[in-house]
Amino acid sequence: MASERSGTDMVWAVPRTDVLLKVLGGPYRSELVGTAFRLTQALLDCGATVQVWACGDATGLTSTALGDTLPVNLLDRDRSYPSTAALVRALVTGHPGRLSWYACRFCCQERGRSAQIAQVRMRPPARFWEHVDAAGKVLVLGAS
Amino acid sequence: MVDYLLIESTGPQAGPGGQRFLDDAAWLARGGEQVTVLLVDNGVAGAVGVAAAAAELLRAGGTLWVDDFSLRQRALAERDLVPGVQVVGIADVARRLLADGVRAVWH
Repeated sequence: MASERSGTDMVWAVPRTDVLLKVLGGPYRSELVGTAFRLTQALLDCGATVQVWACGDATGLTSTALGDTLPVNLLDRDRSYPSTAALVRALVTGHPGRLSWYACRFCCQERGRSAQIAQVRMRPPARFWEHVDAAGKVLVLGAS
Repeated sequence: MVDYLLIESTGPQAGPGGQRFLDDAAWLARGGEQVTVLLVDNGVAGAVGVAAAAAELLRAGGTLWVDDFSLRQRALAERDLVPGVQVVGIADVARRLLADGVRAVWH
């Protein structure tokens, strides 16, 4: 389980990336999350370094409560679909040093989602500016 | 001159915001800025049929992209779109976003 690392944030510096994607909004409301995943993968395929800041309902994408798979599809019991948490884990571990995933600590706490997968680093919203400062481009996807 | 990548994801059914976003893009293009608008998700509906705002953007000198994945999800094809639109993949969008000097805005 990810720690908040609040004690180390004083000395830790946000790694510089080509792009910061700030994602607001959870799955099922719209196609936003799917498009965010597609764009993240495409940026990585281009060789870019990427950081994702999940805010609002997007913090639920990497909650440990999701497990690794979606609930069983009653129309196709033999097929397994990955959860969004598993997708993020695969993306981050599959691109070491090129993709960082952050979750807004306030939004996690407000929604009872402080238990995040290990590949996610929670950050206080007051430090969001550091991520903007460390990115060559910033794109905000969605609205809270 | 600023190089804009403007991404519209809501579409006409979500209210007037999408059309106003395209109007802003056309206004920037008429002012001499380099403007590329990407229609993605429900935003692709903004290039279907009459699509006055999309056509006005093209007349103003802007470039209009439509996401191929979003089109396929809606069983739409290039022939359903206003003439002059370019159908692109997400890799094209990523390359454009990474290009020097490009400013991107999502709506």
